[in-house]
Amino acid sequence: MISGLVQLFLWQGLGELLSKFFLPSIPGPVLGLLLLVAFLCVKGQVNTDLAEVADAFRQHLGLLFVPASVGVVLFLPDLKTHALAVSTALIVSVILTIGVTAIVLKVFWYFSLKRSKGTAMSKGHRHE
Amino acid sequence: MNKRLPISEVWVYLSGDPLFALIITLATYQFGYLLYVRAKRHPLVNPVAISVILTCVIIDLLEMPYEKYFEGAQFVHFLLGTATVALAIPIYNGFKRMQGKILHIWVALTAGSTVSIVSAVVIAKLMGAGDNIVGSMYAKSVTAPIAMGIAERLNVSPTLTVVFTVITGMLGAILAPYIMNALKIHQWWIRGTAIGVGAHGLGITRAFSVNEEAGIYASMAMGLNGVISAIGLPIVLTYLRPYLGF
Repeated sequence: MISGLVQLFLWQGLGELLSKFFLPSIPGPVLGLLLLVAFLCVKGQVNTDLAEVADAFRQHLGLLFVPASVGVVLFLPDLKTHALAVSTALIVSVILTIGVTAIVLKVFWYFSLKRSKGTAMSKGHRHE
Repeated sequence: MNKRLPISEVWVYLSGDPLFALIITLATYQFGYLLYVRAKRHPLVNPVAISVILTCVIIDLLEMPYEKYFEGAQFVHFLLGTATVALAIPIYNGFKRMQGKILHIWVALTAGSTVSIVSAVVIAKLMGAGDNIVGSMYAKSVTAPIAMGIAERLNVSPTLTVVFTVITGMLGAILAPYIMNALKIHQWWIRGTAIGVGAHGLGITRAFSVNEEAGIYASMAMGLNGVISAIGLPIVLTYLRPYLGF
């Protein structure tokens, strides 16, 4: 548990340093994430401590953004006057996002299926 | 009067301590989480939303200014960065599975997140929302920890961004099954990826509760979408902002 947390902190720290000195447009933790993915790809496995901590974070990720969300109290009047705009934007946007992502994948999948069927058939012909 | 004095002294001491904000934050979340489990993890009973609403009510009743609350709650807030780094694990696990689909997923993610940003920003703008609100629509489809990092770099409100993010997650988790069924999409990996892009954290929870494969793809999609947006958004916006007028 602790060892997993230490690993995450180290990668985060490394990411923050990189962000500070070389790539200020990308948040440090995102760079830390990328470094860790690269490291895991090289290593070929995730150690159990790290997997355990990552799982805990994933399950309760929501808790971590409560403090920032409570800041909504500062924006309540603004949000009330634009309630309709905000809700329409959010609802339409979420439907389009999910729909478009799914359709693009479905189209790709359809074509790759067709292609693999095609090659399977040509292979079959050769067999005959 | 005499009896009240010690209690109010204790209160002054407690409310000045960071521990108090931490207790409200964690206790309300715990309460929300219990309700969520009781409600068989229905996306409408969102522990984050419950916790945020209760905390807002409590600090309002106590007349505690937000800055004061945040002084204590920042210890929870700090872990967002670490949680972001932890997203590396689901991304890596997803990579191992999606051999041959990597390019497809990249394209789909880029299309999805572009549509997400453009539609939200344009609609909010057209309907007359202020700059503050419009700006906070940029990163709303990205997982909250990354969304806040992006918001800070774009000089828009991280708070509004994260509030929109949470609402987006709830909406996405509720609507996704209907959207998928309407589009007749039944492959778990496609359903998972789409919900990961559209509804991030909450979508993942939902996906895992339905199907393991969908959950893994959703986690990977959420992480990758965050990375793409964190790298792409600031660059795209610096060049496009003068032309778009927002």
